[in-house]
Amino acid sequence: MLQVNNVTVVYGGVTAVMDVSFKVKDAEVMGLIGPNGAGKTTLMRVITGTVKPVQGTVFLESTPLEGKPPHKRIRLGIGLSQQIVHPFKSMTVLENVAFVAGHGKTGHPVMSVFRHSRAKEKQKAMEILHVLGIDKVAEAKPENLPLGYLKRLEVARAIALEPKILLLDEPLAGLNQLEARQLADKLLELNQLGHTILLIEHNLGEVIRICDQLVVIDNGMKIGQGEPHKVMDDAVVRSAYLGEGHHAAS
Amino acid sequence: MQYEISLLTIMGISIIAALSLNLIVGFCGQISLGHAAFLGVGAYTSAMLTKAGVPFTAAVAASMLMAGIIGTVVGFTSLRVREDFLAITTMGVGFLFLGIVRKQDFLGGEMGIAMIPDPGLGKVGYLVLVLLLAATLALFSIYLKRSWMGFTFDAVADDEDTANLVGIDVSSYKLIAFAMGTAFAGLAGALYAHNIKFIDPESFGFVESITILSMVVIGGTGSVWGVTIAAGVLSIFPMWFQFIDDYKLLVYGGLLCMIMLFSPDGLSGIFGRFLNTIRGKNFNASGQ
Amino acid sequence: MLFFDLLVQGLLQGGIYALIAIGLTLVYGLLRILHVAHAGLYTLGGYIAILITNATGSFTLGITVSMVSVGFMGMVIYRLIYQPILEKPPFVALIASIGLFIAMEEIYRIVFGAYGITFADAPLQGTLNIAGIYLRHCEIGALLLAALLITSLSLFTRYSRIGIAWRATVTDPGMSQSFGVDVIKVRYLNFFIGSAMAAGAGSMVAVMNNLVEPTMGSVPSYKALAIIVLGGLGNVRGTVIAALIIGVAEAFGTIYLGNILDRDSIAFALLILVLMVKPTGLFSKG
Ligand SMILES: Nc1ncnc2c1ncn2[C@@H]1O[C@H](COP(=O)(O)OP(=O)(O)OP(=O)(O)O)[C@@H](O)[C@H]1O
Ligand SMILES: [Mg+2]
Repeated sequence: MLQVNNVTVVYGGVTAVMDVSFKVKDAEVMGLIGPNGAGKTTLMRVITGTVKPVQGTVFLESTPLEGKPPHKRIRLGIGLSQQIVHPFKSMTVLENVAFVAGHGKTGHPVMSVFRHSRAKEKQKAMEILHVLGIDKVAEAKPENLPLGYLKRLEVARAIALEPKILLLDEPLAGLNQLEARQLADKLLELNQLGHTILLIEHNLGEVIRICDQLVVIDNGMKIGQGEPHKVMDDAVVRSAYLGEGHHAAS
Repeated sequence: MQYEISLLTIMGISIIAALSLNLIVGFCGQISLGHAAFLGVGAYTSAMLTKAGVPFTAAVAASMLMAGIIGTVVGFTSLRVREDFLAITTMGVGFLFLGIVRKQDFLGGEMGIAMIPDPGLGKVGYLVLVLLLAATLALFSIYLKRSWMGFTFDAVADDEDTANLVGIDVSSYKLIAFAMGTAFAGLAGALYAHNIKFIDPESFGFVESITILSMVVIGGTGSVWGVTIAAGVLSIFPMWFQFIDDYKLLVYGGLLCMIMLFSPDGLSGIFGRFLNTIRGKNFNASGQ
Repeated sequence: MLFFDLLVQGLLQGGIYALIAIGLTLVYGLLRILHVAHAGLYTLGGYIAILITNATGSFTLGITVSMVSVGFMGMVIYRLIYQPILEKPPFVALIASIGLFIAMEEIYRIVFGAYGITFADAPLQGTLNIAGIYLRHCEIGALLLAALLITSLSLFTRYSRIGIAWRATVTDPGMSQSFGVDVIKVRYLNFFIGSAMAAGAGSMVAVMNNLVEPTMGSVPSYKALAIIVLGGLGNVRGTVIAALIIGVAEAFGTIYLGNILDRDSIAFALLILVLMVKPTGLFSKG
């Protein structure tokens, strides 16, 4: 599904990602983990095209993404939920999702002027909000909502794109334990419906519970890959994670 | 009666100009400080063509096309620079337009173009035409706002980068906004030229750009009703009360400054909050 | 000889532009505001210089009072206009500033008349022949003042404690706060110095033209915006260089491009050309 080959990223002289490669298979939940500043978000940006790698390539299915602007990559089938939430502040929660659900109507800029019905998109958006448990705030403006809701709004928008692969950057941050567990369950459900997911997350308990595969990076370098329990038992990974690894394994 | 007719004609033309800028600034969120230049492009195109014997309708269509094309080119710069630069770049385009036109003998240089042909509709006929076009543009704006293009403009105005990351071709949408806005500015310019029958570079200077922008901002950027009313009132107010004419700019300047300080979303924002208060809804007074 | 004449005239004009533009770029660096009304202070500087000189007979006193009082005026504008809307989107402050500028020009017109005011006895009008180039004393004075103010500014920001804090704040407003810099004080200082420099420029232009009109600031105001963009917004050295380039380009352009392009739009032609090639300006870091 998604293939990242030998990606290296340099920010003004500082190497943030160093020669990282991994593959996400169809219908798999892949976890991308690593300590703060490891380069996870940077890898995500390389995939969506907002950061240019100095070296390396990215393929979605068999399509090379190189040279394509972000909006084209998204339309090839990538749904992104960002670590830092970016709701459209002028729209309600429902409108945020409905707008994205209308991706078929906004794909051709000139033709978009001839389309005006929003009913179907709103309905679909409502369903997604319901699935994620935030339909109660559908009519609220994002400004006044707590982070946990905004995180789920990000995920809702990503789902509304009907992507081939979901890229989720710390979707569970800001949620309490119960909410996190519920959202993780939803992700599993989506996965069982055939969605491929690349999940960046610090909540190792949930990561280990729902991921099929893990890639661990530290300091921009890949230090481990494989099934969650095996990876977490690896000495290198444990030392990179210090206490966190023990906590998750216990 | 004659006087009222000419006042209403000017009002209609101002409304078209303000609504055209509203497409760019209000709908798509792209600041433009040189809009009068596109009125100028339209006015000069139509004046030159009709003087060369081209029929009025064709000349007006050509002036819209010309202004739209140049507007799209300027739109391309908007894709390259960030917001603060865009303000200055569009302002620069305005000054550049003046600087070039002033030196072109075939455009009449500093002296401008006089004796622009009358469209032959009579005073009342011309007024009706102008008001019809203004109404059409207002209705089109309202429709646009409800269409998926308008929805997308909202997203682009709100947060370009995020719009891009949900699959929106932000650049194309911005170009469309520029093309439409400047084409309608060309229309307003052409209508102006055939109404006054004389144009010179100064008719399309920076002060005129700011005047149009004040109509949009005071009315409430993005609000079709607000902008229409503000344009209507601000365009004829100074002429009605001659004594104000002398202080017209002071009033404009002061209003711009005060509106930004106390209600950046303009009259429509004030009105909306007023409605909310009497309906007893709680409201968010942040102005954004 | 024409060449050197044009060069000197260009540098002179560029020096004036630099004095105006520095204040603008400082405000931008600190607050991300395009402070169009800055040129209104430049005009005010001219008015005060003439009024005080006519009242007392001393131009030195005139320009000093002008710079100090306009400096304070700049602080007042920050306090009353910008501070309340700092959190709003950038176009809000920009439009407020344009509104304020237009209103200021109108107030000058209403108070001092549309045709402007002149010195009762214009100072520094004698000429000096330097290697074949004739310069008036006031022109030399303007060059010296520009050089003096720009040099002291750069020394001040390099060697004095508050100057260093200021520079840190302009470069990175968030960063310096955590180092204990009093951001509010820095902002007032910023407006004081920027406005005083503009008033200095306004006073010298008043002498050179022996006239201050309500609209004296219009053209420099917009040109200064072009200059600070070319200089890479917020970059003082880049701004000074860009100002000199524009001054010289105009001096030569008027002779060689005179019949295709108006003098006042040369700066913008250059601006648009540069932005097409390098969208972040000539001297930006990025
Ligand atoms: N725009 C940028 N410019 C310069 N350096 C950056 C930039 N973005 C990230 N970095 C640096 O690159 C490294 C990797 O950052 P990245 O955001 O990818 O980490 P991360 O793994 O997502 O961390 P976290 O878990 O905290 O989100 C960090 O050292 C960070 O400081
Ligand atoms: Mg991250």
